[in-house]
Amino acid sequence: MNTAIKENKEIFHKLLDNAGVIILYLDHNENVVFCNKKTESLTGFKHADIVGKNWLEVLFRDKNSMIKKDMLKAVMDDSMKNKRGKDFQGVILDKNGNERLISWSLAPIQTEDNQVEGDILVGHDITEIREREFSLKNIEERLKNILSGIKEYALYVVNLKGNITYFGMGSEAMLGWKKQDIIFKDACILHSLNDTTTNLRSILESARAFGKYETETELVTKTGEVIPVILTVNQFLDPTGKLSGYIFIAKDITERKKLEYQVFQSEKLAALGQLSAGMAHEINNPLFVISGRLEILKGEKLSERINNSLNLINMQADRIRKLVDRILKFSRKTTPVFETTDINETVELVLPLIRYSNHPTVKIEIEKNFEKNIPPIKGDSQQLQEVFLNLLINAYQSMPNGGLIRITTSNFRDLYAQIQINDTGTGIPENHLKNIFMPFFSTKKDGTGLGLSICHNIIKNHNGSIELVSQVGKGSTFTIKLPFIQKEGDGVL
Amino acid sequence: MVSYKILIVDDEAEVRSLLDELLNKEGYLSKACANGEEALELLKKENFDAVLLDIKLTGISGLEVLKNIRDSYKKLPVIMITGFGYDEDLIAKSKQFGCFGYIGKNMPVSQIITTFKQFVKKAKERE
Repeated sequence: MNTAIKENKEIFHKLLDNAGVIILYLDHNENVVFCNKKTESLTGFKHADIVGKNWLEVLFRDKNSMIKKDMLKAVMDDSMKNKRGKDFQGVILDKNGNERLISWSLAPIQTEDNQVEGDILVGHDITEIREREFSLKNIEERLKNILSGIKEYALYVVNLKGNITYFGMGSEAMLGWKKQDIIFKDACILHSLNDTTTNLRSILESARAFGKYETETELVTKTGEVIPVILTVNQFLDPTGKLSGYIFIAKDITERKKLEYQVFQSEKLAALGQLSAGMAHEINNPLFVISGRLEILKGEKLSERINNSLNLINMQADRIRKLVDRILKFSRKTTPVFETTDINETVELVLPLIRYSNHPTVKIEIEKNFEKNIPPIKGDSQQLQEVFLNLLINAYQSMPNGGLIRITTSNFRDLYAQIQINDTGTGIPENHLKNIFMPFFSTKKDGTGLGLSICHNIIKNHNGSIELVSQVGKGSTFTIKLPFIQKEGDGVL
Repeated sequence: MVSYKILIVDDEAEVRSLLDELLNKEGYLSKACANGEEALELLKKENFDAVLLDIKLTGISGLEVLKNIRDSYKKLPVIMITGFGYDEDLIAKSKQFGCFGYIGKNMPVSQIITTFKQFVKKAKERE
């Protein structure tokens, strides 16, 4: 041994004992010549259990050691042969059989004549560090899974310059951008320009001033589609607490908006209904006077010219009368008479009427796909027949050159009886679709524009829903859902 | 032929005069007034075979007048007429208050007259 070490043996021992790492001195047979106190405290072995023994036999008793003993042996032999240090990791077993992961540094000790006398091994316990890393990785993995599972939220981070620095999984699904295509781009491209009050700059300004900012706004997808969202923006602070950007969380509220729009439409229709009733009453009185006066004149001897004119007036008055009749029908508040109703039977009742349609020369086929044993609904069979008749007449009229009407009934998730009436007709342009159930809206030259709004009212009174999907040139499909009778009591309708 | 005497109640002068003329043409005698109060006064003074009563009146409503007539003149047939047309709620209420018939002004005039005549005939047969 080196003379200097011998002289300062005690100081050295103290130093070695107080080092926070395992320190072993091995002879050239890998037998332990010296171990420090940390070795004892970490492994649970006493000085006497280790010194004089082969270190591999003591610390790598387990057959399943991460690095097998012979591999370790090879590492050490190589180090000795090449007189070079080596770093490696190995799992040791302490006295109680617990595994600990140690990061080892092996340094060969050479004599003055360059002969390898033995090795110094320094072992750093990295069990906890590794566990922490592992659990962090786990958490990251789980977060990733959770985030990728979220579809109606988009999460992205914008730096102080307004550039996107993080684009979470939900963002790709909602906004259509791939992470690599949008990262570091100006976040303006995600924000609608329509709404100047909630443009990106003012959002960032508010989030900077208030720490957190929430607003209802619109985001724009890669394809230019506008999505209504609730946007929550939080400050993103770096570890020192300095503002480094903003975290954007956007919740897609398309569905909610749709519902709100439907409610709004229904309310508007109801208001229009009331208005129509009042209006019809006001028209009926003067109209009655006009028609009544014409009736009185009927017995008079008048010139042909005057008679012709009166006839014309009478016909036009009659036209108004019929229109007002439709308005009254639309607005009537009559409560439907609800009875247990079989939907297939109700549809069947309408079909004979449809056969005597106005187009004797036009070939229109009717295909029935009726699901058997659909539970009954509570409904007014008369009114529902009116709805089906109306829809079927519409389907007929949309196919002046013939076509196919497909009527499908089914049990929708045990909740609703679903009736679909599909035609291969002219279809309805998209810009007309949202008005299709509005009173007085008609795409037909001689339509009153009340048929579908009456249908809408009837179905609404049945607590049901009616929807239309249509494509110009391909045809239209009306879908009606009527709730089944609930089992407990019958308070559902 | 006995001419039946009809009391017409409608708040619109043009409708009153029209009904007057139409009924006279059909051989009825008639008297018209503009509101419920006047109608109840007239009923006290004169005898009528039937009342043709508008539902929407200024002042007390036609249904209210109907109730009053029912209370004081058990057998006098009252026929309701209204611009609201065939309204099931109104029909139900009118029936509940004891009207004899119900006519919508939205029907063709010839049909209104026929229906009215049938109601009066039936009412008289029942007496």
